[in-house]
Amino acid sequence: MPEKNIDFGKFGARGIRGSDAVARKLDELAGGIATPVTVRRGLMARLHYLTKSAHARRAAQDAGLTVTDRTLKAWLEGGRSPSKANLARIDAAYRAVRRQNVARHLLKRLNRDGRGTRVEIHPLDQSQVARPLQRVVEYRTMNVRRWDRIVGSWAAGDYQGLDDAWTTDVLPDLGSQWGQYEYVTNIGFAA
Amino acid sequence: MSDFDAIDSLLAAVGPEAELPAPRVRRELRERARLSKAQVARALGVSPSTVAGWEGGRDPVGETRTKYAYLLDGLAAKFAADTEPETASPAEPAAPPVSDPTADSPSPEPAEGDEVETLAVPEPCVLCGHPAGTRVAGFAQHLDVVDCRTTATAAAPPADPTARPANAQAPRPPSRMARPSERSKGPAGRAFQEASGPGDLIGQAVQGALAEHQGDVEAATAVLVKRAIPDAMRLLDESRKGARYDVIAHPWIPDILKKQTSRGADQIWEARPKWTRAELPPGRHEVTTLDINGAYLSALKTHLPLGQLEHSTGLAHDRRRAGVHLITPPEWEHEAVLPNPIGQRDEPGPLWVTEPTLRLLLRLSSPKYGLCEPPEIHESYTSGATENLLEKFRIALKDARDTAIAEADEVTLEYVKAMYSKFVSTMGESNYNRELYRPDWMHIIRSQAFANLWLKALKAHDEGLTVVRAMGTDELHVIGDWRRVFPEGRGVTEVKVKDTYTAGTGTTEHTGTEGEEE
Repeated sequence: MPEKNIDFGKFGARGIRGSDAVARKLDELAGGIATPVTVRRGLMARLHYLTKSAHARRAAQDAGLTVTDRTLKAWLEGGRSPSKANLARIDAAYRAVRRQNVARHLLKRLNRDGRGTRVEIHPLDQSQVARPLQRVVEYRTMNVRRWDRIVGSWAAGDYQGLDDAWTTDVLPDLGSQWGQYEYVTNIGFAA
Repeated sequence: MSDFDAIDSLLAAVGPEAELPAPRVRRELRERARLSKAQVARALGVSPSTVAGWEGGRDPVGETRTKYAYLLDGLAAKFAADTEPETASPAEPAAPPVSDPTADSPSPEPAEGDEVETLAVPEPCVLCGHPAGTRVAGFAQHLDVVDCRTTATAAAPPADPTARPANAQAPRPPSRMARPSERSKGPAGRAFQEASGPGDLIGQAVQGALAEHQGDVEAATAVLVKRAIPDAMRLLDESRKGARYDVIAHPWIPDILKKQTSRGADQIWEARPKWTRAELPPGRHEVTTLDINGAYLSALKTHLPLGQLEHSTGLAHDRRRAGVHLITPPEWEHEAVLPNPIGQRDEPGPLWVTEPTLRLLLRLSSPKYGLCEPPEIHESYTSGATENLLEKFRIALKDARDTAIAEADEVTLEYVKAMYSKFVSTMGESNYNRELYRPDWMHIIRSQAFANLWLKALKAHDEGLTVVRAMGTDELHVIGDWRRVFPEGRGVTEVKVKDTYTAGTGTTEHTGTEGEEE
């Protein structure tokens, strides 16, 4: 891929990878519990979400919450409170399960029966780049029709897969300048 | 030969001036064509205030006058079928209305194939020289042979072709020579084009819903209100077709515009007025509660930032940009008679305000008003701005609203109201409208509504009314004869009486007539 950036930010450009921006936006669209896990209210909400049904428990276990049912019960009843490491595990498991649960619905909304979703790409920030090295990078929009790989790898937590799907499948549709949009300030779309 | 040309042009210049319709008619013609003063002014090469002057009774002279008459003629011809009763003069022969009932077709073609236009002001007939109310193929003339022939011998063509060998063309009356040459090229019906707009989406939606529910007004209204948000977004898309700027729906948003918690607020201060006069003048007074119609609809015309907001510090205000600003507001010394333009702020110190509030403060600190010191701007998040981004959208809604009021069409009225109010309230971080994620616009539009209300309060104060209360977006309580200050009605430029009560020394007593909420 000759268009790929090799040493991004060498001259002061700032931005995040397009796929990261997509993952961030998808997380935003997926929504979820806003209260942090360190607060009792947030912890309880997450634990309830992860222990609601047998299916949820299994998903939590697959997502890395490998504690015994006895521990979970103690946490839920407030007899014990999870350690810092376990709090992080609960949060990670919650995010993974939440993504899996909303992925199907989100995918349907984004594909819109093949009509796709309009995506806005806001270019990288060049304000810290020396004037002679600045380039005209415009705001672009495009329609993305096939979201299956993007949402699939996002739901699986596979960031490399998401990056591949975004950079090799979607971005080249922008035309010969797609390399300028590998790093962006923001990617916006609605679902 | 050029000598003769120069003389010709001089002669043409001293010829009779083009006649103009009455000032009221000028304005009506322009408004019916949905042309703004600025558009007309640009076409004529004058300033919009000059056009306003012409519509207020002044008369243009010289070449501008000819051009203006040409424009008005074109407009009159366009609306011939409807304007005839207003502009017809006694001298006008009974000209057949040239356009069929569908007067909106761009070039009305009569059956004969020649293009016949009706003139707003009669012009000399090319054949007999007497005033004629119609123009065929660019030449003013009588349609009926009888009108023309009775006078044909009495009035010879005013210019004698043999007297001027340089001018080998057919004789033309002087009033035609002073006119721009485009006139003879084509009919005035092509002089302007119908403003392109989003079409009649609103009317179609209403009719569709009524048809679907077999004319059940309540059911149709419920359905329409329910789909108001997607319909508003569709109307917005339609109104931006072929426009200069895209609506950027998902830009990066600075943290100050993000809600701290899911239920919480962000850091922007919208300057909502919530002010009650501390003490009334002595005696008992009749207080009128005025309601500003469609406050949020009018507030759609405001300076909106187009793209991503960019941070800047320590810069003076740039009129071409808009956004949110961290300012230290000036002291307000008129609290006794007028609300503070930044609203009821309890804590002192700097605060984030939006563009309309800042512009209001800057305006009030200008020498013309001199009501306060200029605010101190510390930081800004701004982007290049335009006032016209939602203009077609607003006009479409306003026209639908005006028509609905004129026809007492409650369904359309409710639908339009739901469209603009929900559009504004959900354009930020709302789950009900994910197409548009512009909390900055939402704050700016709301602030604009508040600033508009504040300016109405100032106007009332300047005209000698006593402002008692300014609340929310659209509520103004005044003492005095407000009818000479604000026109009463349901249009967006008019106000409505919500309530009247007596207040003053002694107890407040309610004698009110409750108006409907709008």
